[in-house]
This record gives sequence, C-alpha cells and structure tokens, in this order.
Amino acid sequence: MRDAPSTATAAVHLRLDHVTKKFGDTAAVDDVSFDVPRGSFATLLGPSGCGKTTTLRMIAGFYDPDAGDIVLGGRRINELPAHRRGTAMVFQDYALFPHMTVRGNVSYGLRLAKVPAAERDRRVNETLDFVGLGKLGDRWPNQLSGGQQQRVAVARALILRPEVLLLDEPLSNLDAKLRVQLRYELRALQQQLKMTFVYVTHDQDEALSLSDWIAVMNQGKVEQHGAPWEIYYRPRTAFLADFVGAVNLVPATVRDVRDGNAVVSFGARTLTVPVPPGASMRTGDEVNLCVRPEALGLAARGASTDGAALPGKVARKAFLGDLMRYWITVDGREWLVDQPDPGATMPYEDEVLIHVRPERVHVITS
Amino acid sequence: MRSLQREPGVLLALLAVIALVGAFIVYPQLRVIATPGTGYVDFITGGTWIRSTSQSIQVMLLSTTSAVLLGFVFAYGMVYTNMPWKRFFRVIGILPLLSPPFVVAAAYVILFGPRGLISYNVFGQSPNIFGLGGIWGVQTIAFFPFAYQLIADVLSRSDARLEQAARNLGAGPWQVFRTVTLPLSRPGLGAAILTTAIYVLEDFGNPALIGGTFTVLPTQAYGLISGFGDLPGATAVSTLLLALALILYVAKIRLDGGRSFVTVSGRASSMPRPPVPVALTWTCFAACLALSIVILTVYGSLLVSALTLNFPTILTPTLQHFQYITTGTNGTALQNTLVFGLVAAAFSAVFALVAGWLVERGSWRGRRALDFLLIMPAAIPGLFFGIGYATAFNEPWLDWLDRGVLIIISMIFWNIPVGYQAAVAGLRQIDRTMDEAATSLGASSLRGFRDILVPMLGGSLRVGFVTTFVRAVTTLSVVIFLFTPSSTVATIRIFQLVNDLNFGRATAFTVADIGMAMAALGVFAILARGRVALGAARA
Repeated sequence: MRDAPSTATAAVHLRLDHVTKKFGDTAAVDDVSFDVPRGSFATLLGPSGCGKTTTLRMIAGFYDPDAGDIVLGGRRINELPAHRRGTAMVFQDYALFPHMTVRGNVSYGLRLAKVPAAERDRRVNETLDFVGLGKLGDRWPNQLSGGQQQRVAVARALILRPEVLLLDEPLSNLDAKLRVQLRYELRALQQQLKMTFVYVTHDQDEALSLSDWIAVMNQGKVEQHGAPWEIYYRPRTAFLADFVGAVNLVPATVRDVRDGNAVVSFGARTLTVPVPPGASMRTGDEVNLCVRPEALGLAARGASTDGAALPGKVARKAFLGDLMRYWITVDGREWLVDQPDPGATMPYEDEVLIHVRPERVHVITS
Repeated sequence: MRSLQREPGVLLALLAVIALVGAFIVYPQLRVIATPGTGYVDFITGGTWIRSTSQSIQVMLLSTTSAVLLGFVFAYGMVYTNMPWKRFFRVIGILPLLSPPFVVAAAYVILFGPRGLISYNVFGQSPNIFGLGGIWGVQTIAFFPFAYQLIADVLSRSDARLEQAARNLGAGPWQVFRTVTLPLSRPGLGAAILTTAIYVLEDFGNPALIGGTFTVLPTQAYGLISGFGDLPGATAVSTLLLALALILYVAKIRLDGGRSFVTVSGRASSMPRPPVPVALTWTCFAACLALSIVILTVYGSLLVSALTLNFPTILTPTLQHFQYITTGTNGTALQNTLVFGLVAAAFSAVFALVAGWLVERGSWRGRRALDFLLIMPAAIPGLFFGIGYATAFNEPWLDWLDRGVLIIISMIFWNIPVGYQAAVAGLRQIDRTMDEAATSLGASSLRGFRDILVPMLGGSLRVGFVTTFVRAVTTLSVVIFLFTPSSTVATIRIFQLVNDLNFGRATAFTVADIGMAMAALGVFAILARGRVALGAARA
C-alpha cells in the first residue's frame, strides 16, 4: 500500500474537548473531541441527523454545549455570546437579508463593528472583486442567481476576517455542475487566505475534494478523523467504508498473522493481505475486507492475471460515462467492480474474472 | 435562559412586556372576577342569570347557524366557482367588517320599525320588532360576513393540488368536496364556527338596541350597572359571560391551535382549482347577489338617512346631520375616535411585534404562559374588558389619569391578539437563519431584531396597525363603561342617538365612523400594493 500524504500537525486552532449536546434525552452530539489545525480546510461529514450541523452551531454559539469545552485560538469560548465570537457563518440557504442590496449585506458586519465609512467602502469593493461580484453591488438578493447569492454569502462572512469561517452545506442548493465549480473556487479561496474553514456537508465527494482534514460523524459521535486519503482507503469501521464512496465489504476470517500480513479466508477462497498500521489481528478474528470497486480489475475468463482472481458472472452493469460499473456474482455474493475508460474495450458479458490485488485490500477489524 | 443572562437588553424588554401584560390584561380581569366576592352566592341563588343565560345560548345557536350557513355559501362561491362580479362581492364582504356591527340594528329599525321604510311605507304595518326574532335576523346579517371571511380563509388554504389529484383519480366535484376538501378543512371550519359563535355571544350593541325585554348576558350586565348601579351583580354576570366565551375559545384553540384570527390575507392560490358545475356556480352567484342586496340596503339606508331630514318620512336632502356631528362635543367625539384609534393602533402594533418576537424567538421558560395571555383578550368579551378597566382603574389614586388615556390603553390591550398573531405568523415565515446570520456577523439579538427582522415584518406591523385601528373605532362594548363627556367616541354617540331615536344624527355618525375605517383600509391597501385587508370588529 502506498503511503498517504503526510498530515503535518500544525498549531491547533480550534479544539473541541469532550463536547456533548442533548435535545431532550437524545444526545445529538455525544462526547466529541477533535483538533482543527490552523489554516486548514476542515470538514464535518456525515449522514443527516449525525450531529455535524449541531457541532457547527455550537462552535458558532447558537447552541450551548451541555458538557465539554470549545476552545478557539487558545481561548475557551463556551460562555462567549455568539455575536462576539468572530465565527462568521455561511448558511445553507445563504440567509441574505432581502431588504438590503448586495453591498448592504456585505457591509453589514462592518457597520456593526463601527468601521469608518471610507475603509468600509474600500473593503466592500475589495471583497466583492475578490469573489467576482465587483459589478453587482447594487443588486438586490432576489435579482441574483443561486451561485451569485452563494458568493455574496461568502463575501459577507469573509469581509469580517473571522477567526474561523463556518460553512453549513453552502453548496447543497445549487445544481450539480455549479456545485462542482464553486467547490474548487472555495478551495482556492481558502488556500489564498490561509484561513481556517470548518465545513459541514453530507456529500462525500465534496468532503474528499475540498478538505485537508475530515471528521466523519455518525449518531452524534466522530467515527474517524484524518486526511481524506486515510478516510477513504483506511476506514476504521464498516459504516465509514460504506458511507464514504462505493465499497465491497466482504466478511472474512483470519487464518494466520505473520510479518505484517494476514491470511484471510472468505467462502472457499484465501487471500494474503497487509495488516493496516495500528490494527491488531489474531487468528480466528472475524473481519471485513474492504475493497473499492475501482481497485479491482476485470478480465475475460481464461485470461492470465497476477494476484488473486475470482471467477464470477456479470449480473448487471451501468454505464456512468467516465466508468462502467459492474455487479458481478461470485459464490452467491455480489461484487462491485468499476472499469475506467469503458469506451476502450467491449463491455464484459457473462463469465468474467475479478482481479484482486492484495495490497489494495483494507482489513476492517472492528 | 442563559442567553437572556448574556443579553440584558432582551431581559429588560421581556420584563417590561410581562409587567404590562400583568397590569393591563391579567389584573383587570382578576378584579372583575373577584368583585362579587360573597355576592356570588346571592347571584346564583337569585336565579336572574338563568333566563339571560338560556336566552344568550338560544340566540347564539340561532344566529351562529344562520350566519355560518350564509357565510359558507358566500365563501364557497368566492373560493370555488368562477362566478362573475367577484370583486364586487369581495368589497361587499369587507364593508360590514369596517362598521360597528350594531349599526345593522339601527338600519333594521329604519327599514322595519314601526315607521320603517319597508314595514310602514311599503306595507303599512307598524310591527313590534323587538325581541328574539329581531336579534336573530340582525345578528345573522351583522355576522355572516365574519363567518364568510373565516370560512373563505379556511377553504382557500385547502390544497388545490390535492383537489386536482382527486379529480385526476376520477372523483366528481361534489365527491372531491366531500371526500377531500371537507375532511381536511374540518378543524378549520369548526374553529370558524366557534369564532363566529363567540362574536355573537359577546354582541352587546344589537341586543341592547332591539332586544326589548329579551335580555342576554351582555345587556343584563349593562342594565345592572346603568340601571341599578349594581356592580357586584354586573361583574358576576360578566364573569359568567367570560366563562362561556372561554369554553368556546378553548374548544376553538383545540381545533386550530389558536392560530387564526380574522385579520388580513393577501393570499392568492397559485394553482387553479378544478372547475365546479355551471348550475352550482350560478346558484352561488344568485345567493351572493341576494346577500349583497341585503347588505347594500342596510348600508344604503344608513347613508340616505344621514343625508335626509328625517328618513323615511321626510326625504329632503340636508347636510345638517353632518354639521351636528362635526361641531361642539360631537366634533370632539369624532376627533377622539380618530386620535384614540391611531394612538392605540400604533402602540398595539409595536408592542405586539416586540412581544411576538420575545415569545416566538425566545427560549426562556414561561413562554407558553405569556403566549396564552397575549392571545387571551381575543376570547374576552368587550363588555367584560371594559368593566375590568372601570373596576381596576377607577381608584382615587389614579384620578390624575385622563379617561382618554385609559380608553386608549384598553384598546391597545384588548386588540393585542391581532398584532401579536400577525407578528408571530410573520416571524414564523422568516427562517431563523436570518437571525443567526446577523448574530454571526456580530449583531446582538436586539440589534438583529431591529436591523433585520423589523424591516422584514412590515406586513405584520401594517396588519396589526390597521386591524387594531378598525376594531378600535368600531367598538362599543369596551368603551361604554369608560367614557366621560370629554372622552366620548363615535360609537358611544351612535348608541345614544339611536336610543333617542335620532336616526339622522346617529347615521351621520355611522357614516363618518365607517369612513374613517375605510380610509385606514385604503391607506393600508396602498401600502400593501393593493392587497386586501379584512378587519375584524366586534361590538
């Protein structure tokens, strides 16, 4: 297995320390702790109801945590009123003030901070230019497209030079193409400003492509946090593997462990795979093998392959443009296999071989 | 709670609201309820309440049934058919809401009284019109427009998409109404019926003018004070009236959550409703036309009476009635009506907005109790409210307080539910992320309220202001125990003049009073860019 890009431990900017938030009897956020390095693009990822937005709103000060500390720039901010935290936020529906022009919206925070008019104007112009809205200052929010509104929302928050910028699913109301485009704009913006962003989304593509650091949440807890690479290729739980991307999860039994490798068996087949760093495995353990569909290869029956080959039968296939996704039955179990550049060959039919490279198999022990 | 401690400004505003609600809504009521004391025993054993209570309930059942039936036909025609003249009918439906309901009784006397235009001039009869029949007929005409507005509001809220879907699945127009519209709007219709019943139950002016010996609870309470100076008896009767009104009101809240009130609706259905049969359309048209003719006859006779020497006997045109009402103490009465109404409407709308914000956006304990107290005046009969103020604030240490001020305060708080519910409804349409956006940019919650919410709540403010103004200038029962010669208002003068059988002058006052309400509505319509306002007034 190749090494993940290094995640250098920069200075901690935002720290959540055993934070819990209950609504009634249910813990929306349950004993969550993590550190966000200064200047990083940090993402809270999870299905709806996992507690990611609640976590963000506690950082913003809209909810008080029931337990635990929130520390921003070395200072505990639990008791600090929301409007004094310097945590400007970009909302899912933008929350632009409909009775103010673009300029009015963007300058609102500066007016509250009593910034002199001349400097205010200068900064508004600068910020509007920065997000590419230089000419739209006198428009009203309802005269803007969704993408423009989104930029106004970002500009309105950025202009305050906040300690951290909080973003609550800011792209989810946009159509697919624009969403992808603005994704890269946001990332570029963040890298240019070197500002700490805390970003909430349920869209794993978005999280993977934007972030320096991802925390995946489920049922109020952080299941795993780390670099996107780690989250994707070394998920610690079956939930994570399944939530982030498409995956084959195959229950297997450990037969032997030796020299950093484990011999595992599933059905009648045996495979020797690497033991993930930090994981402990013993003979007889029940584990899950996690293989991404794009890490598997396909070949016609009879072709020679290196590594392990599983004979199977094509059950279904779907043409997705950039790849062809196959559902292939092996020993009564369906495997997902993605074939890149489907235009290069004829689609496979019927009997095929799935080619498994053992170093691309990740073992989930829990 | 913690957020309140962090923002002392909000805490102060909340304490001020609680103090004002306590002083001007809770305290006067408790004083009325407590006044009879041991007198309750005499009152109950005395038994005079049995007759008036049973008559109140009797007339309530009769008038509510007929008003609701007429109102339903009107509403169905307006919402479901594409009959012609809808704009005309809409105006006709609003007109009665802009007038004191008891002027219908005056018109009734003019038209059907011993020397009435129709009874005497046309048929040569001098019937005895006083009693149950007269009240029933007058209340039906006076309150069916209220029932119409309430029912039309409910019907127009029923989802046209569901009705289209039912038609698409093969249901006929009648089946759609019976199996989709009616079941879905049943709670709303029930609430509309109960609200109409409360209006009828609390009606003081109509029974007072044409009830004769047929006494209902509001007229009994009034008679006990004005005739016998019997405050304990009157307060006991009022308490009984309040109890009945509260029973209806609690039932209504259980049906619709207490969230409807005849105010303003500029609602336009985006999807057309499925067509109804032509025969039904024309039946509704005929019924609406007939009702419109009745309404026009009522208000037309008031107008003609105001402009003639002694209608219907002497038909010489004259402006002398208008001269009369604009000079001397009568001029003061008109001026008071306008000033009291404007001041009360402004304070009521602003206070209601702040209170609505504190309740709707707050997270402190006791919010629901304050919410209940702010809606409660909607269930309090005007007469009870007036007696409450007369009882609670008729104290020597308050002698310095001008009676006009007291009347204004009573109008502010009696009408609080209108502005309050408009504010809450408006706030519910503004997503909380608006407040949070302001907060995250550095605004305290009071600052966010001022900068962001208030400008967006212009519609709610206007509704609160106009509806309160209309109700203030058309109420009789609230002020009848509070006025003094220098602080009298138009409705009081109308009531006195009708009692003196001075119809020319009474109707001139009426025309002036309705004119003020219409002017207010006109200004509103301009501000709201032509959308229609419906004010709910009660006697």
